[in-house]
Amino acid sequence: MKIKVKIKRCDPMASGRCEAYIQGYDIKAKKGMTVLDALIWIKDRLDGTLAFRRSCRSAICGSCAMMINGNPKLACKTQILKEFEKRQEILIAPLGNFSIIKDLVVDLTPLWKKINKIEPWLNPVGEPPETGWIISREEAQRIDNESACIMCGVCNGGCNSQEGDPDFIGPSACAKSYRFVGDVRDGSKFKRLEKISREHGIWNCMRCLMCNQYCPKGVYPMTAIEKLRAEAIGEGIVDNFGVRHVDAMVESVRRVGRLDEAMYTFKSLGFLRAVGMLPLGIRLELHGKMPHPVIFPEIDGIEELRELMKTVEEKE
Amino acid sequence: MKFAYYPGCASLAITKEYNATTLLIAEMLGIELVEMVRANCCGAALFNDQNRELNLTMSARIFAQAEEMGCDILTLCNTCLMVMSRAKKELEDNPEMLKAINDNLAKAGLKYNGDVKINHLLWVIIRDIGLDRIKKLVTRPLKGLNIGAYYGCHILRPSDAVVFDNPDAPNSLDNLISALGGTPVEYAGKTRCCGFQLDLVSPEIAHRMVGKRILDCKESGGECMVTPCPLCHINLDSYQGYANKLLGVKLDMPIFNLSQLIGFAFGLSVSDMEFSKHLVSPESLLKTKDLV
Repeated sequence: MKIKVKIKRCDPMASGRCEAYIQGYDIKAKKGMTVLDALIWIKDRLDGTLAFRRSCRSAICGSCAMMINGNPKLACKTQILKEFEKRQEILIAPLGNFSIIKDLVVDLTPLWKKINKIEPWLNPVGEPPETGWIISREEAQRIDNESACIMCGVCNGGCNSQEGDPDFIGPSACAKSYRFVGDVRDGSKFKRLEKISREHGIWNCMRCLMCNQYCPKGVYPMTAIEKLRAEAIGEGIVDNFGVRHVDAMVESVRRVGRLDEAMYTFKSLGFLRAVGMLPLGIRLELHGKMPHPVIFPEIDGIEELRELMKTVEEKE
Repeated sequence: MKFAYYPGCASLAITKEYNATTLLIAEMLGIELVEMVRANCCGAALFNDQNRELNLTMSARIFAQAEEMGCDILTLCNTCLMVMSRAKKELEDNPEMLKAINDNLAKAGLKYNGDVKINHLLWVIIRDIGLDRIKKLVTRPLKGLNIGAYYGCHILRPSDAVVFDNPDAPNSLDNLISALGGTPVEYAGKTRCCGFQLDLVSPEIAHRMVGKRILDCKESGGECMVTPCPLCHINLDSYQGYANKLLGVKLDMPIFNLSQLIGFAFGLSVSDMEFSKHLVSPESLLKTKDLV
């Protein structure tokens, strides 16, 4: 099948800034052909100036992360015809959230810096045993998903939180952090959790699930973030707005069975920040939207719900 | 067509117009909605941060109630949809966990058998009602109105649990806009995040997301937006003023919820659609298009 592959290109090294343009290449796509196969064919036969990273061609090295029809994917793991069918076109762009070096090659330095920040190495608990460290199958399985990361940057490239806050630690570093937090041989759990709970850390993930959706290796970074949050709360690292937000939600459900928005906002933000939202509150009230700030009806069966929550919470 | 109706907390309070307009169009479409008066909040994805078992128990309590009612669940909220769908899948994949959760529920006299299906209103409209029937009910085609379909996150992801549209290239909401006589606008941010979950954690980041999404739609020719999610609606409409201030722009982008757009095209009045509850009024836009 003849298709046009559109590629978003730019060459900041030549012009000093990124003036992106779309260039189309006509290719004959065959069943089973990957986006990377197509790029290699284009570079060989049509245009040697096209720049992109690649190495293993089998989703192991993590070099060819890019935006394919708007979503972050590995070019070597994505079939071009299947992708074409979805939109009747194929547009390839450099990985999101990174600055461009040339064409589809982005500067991944921020990715490495963030991963480095979480100390991606084992800080052994006590002296390592001389005969090797035997851990059980269950203990190893706890960090199975997170250990599969190939650091391709797909998750950071699609991350909404990183789009809104470039300093956000990012899903890849969070998954890597859990790989050590969940490792029974590591002795720096508290320190790791304390550090990653700070500003730009785990509590700034907006739960958009892009990383869980697009990770090519089944790492599920957002699930790792949820686990880090639960571990941090378990360790008593609770002095931040993220934890207040969670506490306010649980408290609201225990009190009335559902979300008492006014009180929940107040408790999450704290007095000073909540006062800052008063003008919006007044506007909402004028439009008849404001939930009652004090009286909020309970759901039917609230006693039963409270008992149930208690049953689960006491199990811990 | 009968469903256990779980509008979600937001649509019973701050976005109450979504609930009200849904009840109106449900009647016109012959969808019977039986309210789940005993149902609890799903936790909006926050329970997991504290206690995974609490999250699953809270969702399973809702499922057990729906099973008792003999109906599948219909929700208006993307996030309720995602939380419950994810919990359902987790319980399907892990029979041991299902047993533990049922032990918890037994104390409240409830049991979850694993039979419940969770639907979003948008899915029921596309799959069960069908766009042909929708087209027949349109008496006020949204002619000349360029509408950005804003899907949001949780109606698409994670697609192993939330199964309907293609998460890479969804089209249900765009097709609905066309069926109502409007013109869907193609823009990059339609499946990306409005930042809602950071509203109370890092508000400035959330406001930036709101501004980016609306600007993106506007620059692609959108005159208004429609979203199936009450949480996206809170951000895009109520927080638009914050985004204006932060980015130094005047977005002035009316945001419809799903039921309002349908009801309006079905000929229901402006007051029935409760547009006055929005902070950004669509009325002048609708006037310039001769729709009111």
